[in-house]
Amino acid sequence: MKSRKQSQHAMVYQNVFSLIIAIVFLFPLFWLLSSSFKMEAEIFKSPPTLLPSHLYLAPYVDQFTGQYNMLRSFLNSCVISLFAMLISLILSVMAAYGLARFNFRGRKVLILSFLITQMLPATLILTPLFIIFNKMQFFNTYCGPIIADATLGIPFSVLMLRTYFLSIPKELDDSARVDGCNAFSAFWKIMLPIARPGVIVIAIFSFLFAWGDLIYANTFMNQPNLMPMTAGIYNFIGQYGVSWNRVMAFGALTVFPVVMIFIFMQKYIISGLTSGAVKG
Amino acid sequence: MKYTIQKGQSIGFLFVLPALLFMMVFIGYPIIYNLILSFQDVSVMTFNNPVKEWTSFRNYIQLMADPVLRTTVINTLYYTVACIAFQFTIGFALAIFFNKSFRLAKSIRGLMMVAWLMPVTITGLIFKFIFSTNGGIINEFLIGTHLLHQPIEWLLQPVTALWALIITNIWIGIPFNMILLITGLSTIPRDVYESASIDGADRRQQFIHITVPLLKPAIQSVLILGFIYTFKVFDLVYVMTKGGPVNATEVLSTFSYRLSFTEFSFSKGAAVANILFVILFIVSLGYLRSINKEETM
Repeated sequence: MKSRKQSQHAMVYQNVFSLIIAIVFLFPLFWLLSSSFKMEAEIFKSPPTLLPSHLYLAPYVDQFTGQYNMLRSFLNSCVISLFAMLISLILSVMAAYGLARFNFRGRKVLILSFLITQMLPATLILTPLFIIFNKMQFFNTYCGPIIADATLGIPFSVLMLRTYFLSIPKELDDSARVDGCNAFSAFWKIMLPIARPGVIVIAIFSFLFAWGDLIYANTFMNQPNLMPMTAGIYNFIGQYGVSWNRVMAFGALTVFPVVMIFIFMQKYIISGLTSGAVKG
Repeated sequence: MKYTIQKGQSIGFLFVLPALLFMMVFIGYPIIYNLILSFQDVSVMTFNNPVKEWTSFRNYIQLMADPVLRTTVINTLYYTVACIAFQFTIGFALAIFFNKSFRLAKSIRGLMMVAWLMPVTITGLIFKFIFSTNGGIINEFLIGTHLLHQPIEWLLQPVTALWALIITNIWIGIPFNMILLITGLSTIPRDVYESASIDGADRRQQFIHITVPLLKPAIQSVLILGFIYTFKVFDLVYVMTKGGPVNATEVLSTFSYRLSFTEFSFSKGAAVANILFVILFIVSLGYLRSINKEETM
């Protein structure tokens, strides 16, 4: 009886302590949001105010009416991320299935090379891609970042989804094959629907990798009206200097979709991260 | 019969082929291109020449003599080791805490993942604001509590600038370390601890003799993956300090980028990227060996 009461006490402390950790750890996000609603003068006020004294919406309104059009860069980000996701999704789903279900020569080497690609620094391929894209007339088009971002998603997706396919009993495909499906229709009709949760995970990650990219977009394009949000905000700082409330408002709008995806897809994201990264 | 099985299996290669071609064109070919580039002399002057001068190891020899490269390698290593030491320790402590089954455990550790998923550009900007000399919350806090009289120019002084980057990256890395270690911890059966405590082992002994050895595979992959992801840092440095002040925060990625796209010496930039690649490749081999031991592919 006593020990049960003790453990209940411990639970209360643990809950309180975890809340404190969350508040301290997530402070930078709170600060992003709070500062984005402050007036310029309040940003530099000493001592600083935790919350804006009144909600000042100009930093947000400016993003849509000022010289730099936020809406445009939001759409650019969406186009680039969605197409990068689509390429990664189509290629990875097939590759992962091939690597999980068939035992052909060179399979191990392929798995290893996907593992290694996942670890490559972006700078390694940046200069060659810049030269290649220039020759292909891809400079200042969406194609450059889309292709480069897809190369971020593919290795992760292939490896993650391969472990997912491995966890599905092989008998399912075999029985489909006995029933007269060929390899491709067994994949399309049987495996793909079962693997849906895994496919959702790789879609989310491929999208988020592309959404967070700065270096590719910043290198393969220099026209502000084509740039995604990350590259846009980077150049926006050059323009506005330390207008922190505007920068924070821009930042909040860039993070917003990520937080939304996270809230609705948390279950998938965590499972994807752990199976994809630990097992490689 | 044997023939048909072989034939059936090689269809698998057809499934992989599209992804393989894509990666060969946009990753494999650039890697080789980058290697060739580093043995040539391609700059903004010679960019459009049909024939590029073959300079053998000249770029590498010049870089080895360049004190900036040495500073850059030291910065990158210092940054990586400092980041990993802290994010691993803090991540480990939090993993043990959040592995307990209290009501808020799952939702809060999930919430913390946002730090890892956010675009690094935005994280960099938030911390640039937090560390800024005027109006930055850290200076305001330190002055408000009378720990400081004068604001510190965090991002404008060499040592503090590097540490500002390290602190920011620790914030990004903690949830990553925590989640991977929690996954490892959850595979350790509880009765191992129960029988150990019956045998009289205290918490510290349990940690050293049970948790650490059983968690070794997870610890290994967290450390090596952490090293690889941290060592190739680019966005964070580019957004917060751009390598300044005077190379104090220049890392291999940003140095390579600066050579290629600010000074337009593409060949030198390529050579630095290759040096970065070789270091990462050696570390990755260690990682591949460690996971190869555990699971047979």
